[in-house]
Amino acid sequence: MVQPRPVVAAAEPWTFPTGTQHTLDNGMRVLLYNRPGQHITSTRLVLPVPLAVEPRQLEGVATLVSRTMDEGTASHSADELAELFERDGIALAAGYGARGMTVELEAMASRSARGWELLTECLREPVFPQEEVERHLKQRLAEYEQEQASPGARAALEWAEAFYSPDSRASRSAAGTPETVRAISRDDVAGFHADWVRPNGATIVVAGELDEAATVAALNATLGSWQVNGEAPQSDSPAAIVAGGGPRIRFVDRPGAVQTEVYVGSFGPDRRDKHGWAPYPALGFAVGGSPGARLDAVLREEKGYTYGFRAGFRPRAVGGVFVASGSVRSDVTVEATELTLSILDEVSGKPLTAEETRSAVDYIGKTAPARYATADAVADEAAALELDGLSTEFVSSYLAQLATLTPDDLNAAWGAYAGEPRTVVLVGDAEAHAEGVRGLGRGEVTVVG
Amino acid sequence: MRPDYPIATHRLDNGLRVVVSPDHSVPTVAVNLWVGVGSRHEQSGRTGFAHLFEHLMFQGSQNVAEGEHFAALMAQGAQLNATTWVDRTNYFEQVPTGALELALWLEADRHGRLLPAVTQANLDNQRDVVKEEKRQRYDNMPYGNAFTELTELVFPDGHPYHHSTIGSMDDLDAATLDDVHAFYRQHYRPDNTVLTLVGDIQPDDGFALAAKYFGELTNPDHAPAPPLDPPLPPLESPGRLERVADVPANRVYLGFRLPAGNTDEFIAAEVTFDVLAGLATSRLYRRMVRGEQVVTHVSRNAGGRVDGTSMGALVFDVADGVPVEQAEKIAAEELSRLAAEPPTDAELEAARADVERWWLQSLAQQDERADVISAGMLLYDDPNQLNTYLDRVAEVSAEDVRRIAGAYVRPETAATVVYRKEQN
Repeated sequence: MVQPRPVVAAAEPWTFPTGTQHTLDNGMRVLLYNRPGQHITSTRLVLPVPLAVEPRQLEGVATLVSRTMDEGTASHSADELAELFERDGIALAAGYGARGMTVELEAMASRSARGWELLTECLREPVFPQEEVERHLKQRLAEYEQEQASPGARAALEWAEAFYSPDSRASRSAAGTPETVRAISRDDVAGFHADWVRPNGATIVVAGELDEAATVAALNATLGSWQVNGEAPQSDSPAAIVAGGGPRIRFVDRPGAVQTEVYVGSFGPDRRDKHGWAPYPALGFAVGGSPGARLDAVLREEKGYTYGFRAGFRPRAVGGVFVASGSVRSDVTVEATELTLSILDEVSGKPLTAEETRSAVDYIGKTAPARYATADAVADEAAALELDGLSTEFVSSYLAQLATLTPDDLNAAWGAYAGEPRTVVLVGDAEAHAEGVRGLGRGEVTVVG
Repeated sequence: MRPDYPIATHRLDNGLRVVVSPDHSVPTVAVNLWVGVGSRHEQSGRTGFAHLFEHLMFQGSQNVAEGEHFAALMAQGAQLNATTWVDRTNYFEQVPTGALELALWLEADRHGRLLPAVTQANLDNQRDVVKEEKRQRYDNMPYGNAFTELTELVFPDGHPYHHSTIGSMDDLDAATLDDVHAFYRQHYRPDNTVLTLVGDIQPDDGFALAAKYFGELTNPDHAPAPPLDPPLPPLESPGRLERVADVPANRVYLGFRLPAGNTDEFIAAEVTFDVLAGLATSRLYRRMVRGEQVVTHVSRNAGGRVDGTSMGALVFDVADGVPVEQAEKIAAEELSRLAAEPPTDAELEAARADVERWWLQSLAQQDERADVISAGMLLYDDPNQLNTYLDRVAEVSAEDVRRIAGAYVRPETAATVVYRKEQN
């Protein structure tokens, strides 16, 4: 006999793991999250120096610094360093985003202190050998070509260029364009490191099974000894100014493409929005976060035009963006573009229901324990919030707000940004479809090669 | 260090194998089902069918409406999905403890009572969705079909691994409702399925719930899958495919036949590929990327397969201005060198340390742990792989690596696919 459908028991209350704060001898802040049972310790070092401080003609230099700090120091060659890291299974990765640099270190708990020691060496005394910098320059140029050839990556880059004012850093690739990357010399890389990479203002996050006193002592013996004399320069370069004008469509021509990548975006909130942050992840889920969400219910499940659309709000330091994207069969480009835009437009006229609200609230709230179960997930969240000037109490407080949300709250938050003009990028066969897209009257259409 | 996760196993009367691994650190349970059917079981003219079928498992069953599986579980805070590969199809969700029974009820309904809900309309719709998945991930991506082409060179026509899991457009178009019924009856059966529960549950409770919801499922009279194929020897006259395409850089794929998954020989082969291309200190990376800078990137891939023979691959992007043949020649020299000069202690130590870190890091997640347990149980009748894998890696010696390189990873045994950048 088939069992009756089970009733679901209420989920246990949950809050984000509590961290403790410490200060190292050199003034660096430390956040520790003790996670018993975790074999791997995750370390994040965040350096809140915005990407916008890069000289305009040398964009990409910050990324190159993040990629070459471990390619040779005063004490060890690039090969020796790689051997030292890999002998102990320590993984180091560093990258540069809009708000600053993040260094990630993953190691067995027993080898973390060795990782901090090696990381300190890379931060304090990198020598940026000419041949290693040149190699990474070439690799960046190759990576740029790969990005241009990938429909999703190309759409995101074109969208930023079409949406932001050319004065602002956000309009261009974080890792630089061929023109700026080719202009970067080894001395520029060393100069950026000397000017900007310093312990002042940096924070270290460590999550794993740890003893707090011993961890702070080990961090003090390593990263706490990092000192840089003098003051960092000042910069007030604009980071993310939205270009003026109304809705617009940029069609990137890929002759003969069997699909069209559709990428729609508009201005949105940051984490300090007056409606609170909680409505926005819920809206993202209801509009484009599941096969039953508004976009996929039509584009995937009803029409079969796509493998799947995704939508969501992405906060920046000030303001943010709402993005919906997916790829569709080439011959339905015009119809799918119109459908995507009208589904988004219709949210105001066909407001979110109580059921949509409850599903979104429950999904985001109840997945939190699993999403933050591991040391690396805790460290990633703490590091991302740290770069935004927030602590992980933010997670618990927005989850508390989330539980109280009504359909009216969601619809009010949607309404606050629903009137923002949408910038659309299509990557596909422009010769076949640009005229049709023009006919939609959804904004000026520009075709680029 | 070696992990020591608890493992308890039980077999229901209908043959369903159940594994429970308690972990009460988070109030969630990972539910993970592996069914012993993948693309290797597909009939000629129906490539891609196992994966298309996986999509239909989300479109409703006897007591579950279309779309309800996703909606009901996500609204309870479940993260869920399914994937299809050559040897198996897996279905999984991580749910808050209170929603465990709902998850098991939904899974039992589709694993036991799918067919009443399958319609021509949802077959047609999911066929369209899968075709868009194929276009998005393969046809519209630079190099998107290269791995499929390499696989076709490594395994002969007619071999179960010759074709890709995504299949061909023509075969997807040819799939009928009758195929759906026959496929489900043949492969979706409790004696061909493993259910693993990892998380906030005790073994006896897990076994009781498995019996409650899956106990009534039955097997058809006919036997499950046919016996496995014998191992294939390394390629004797490997094929070579050259393409000129709209790609951003010249890229070379080398493909090799390897021993069957889960054998000591295969684990040694995995270490061999790590020593060649898994690390910044690996031989190909050190010489080709860092040293002579003839390539901008190199990667490796060695995946265990059940049916006699596994496959390994090396992939590199040739630097601008460097002839493809020069990069190939250097790669070949390094393969031959490994067959002559075993890895040093430092090389082997680095490879082991890297595996130890990523293995333990992936097992930190309940859902990954459940997936590894199901894999071992279904494919190799060994639910303890998650605890024993690192020991087996540690036992691989330098001489093992040299021997494996000499037997399986010689340049003369490499199938080759080259994508050359179109000259404008």
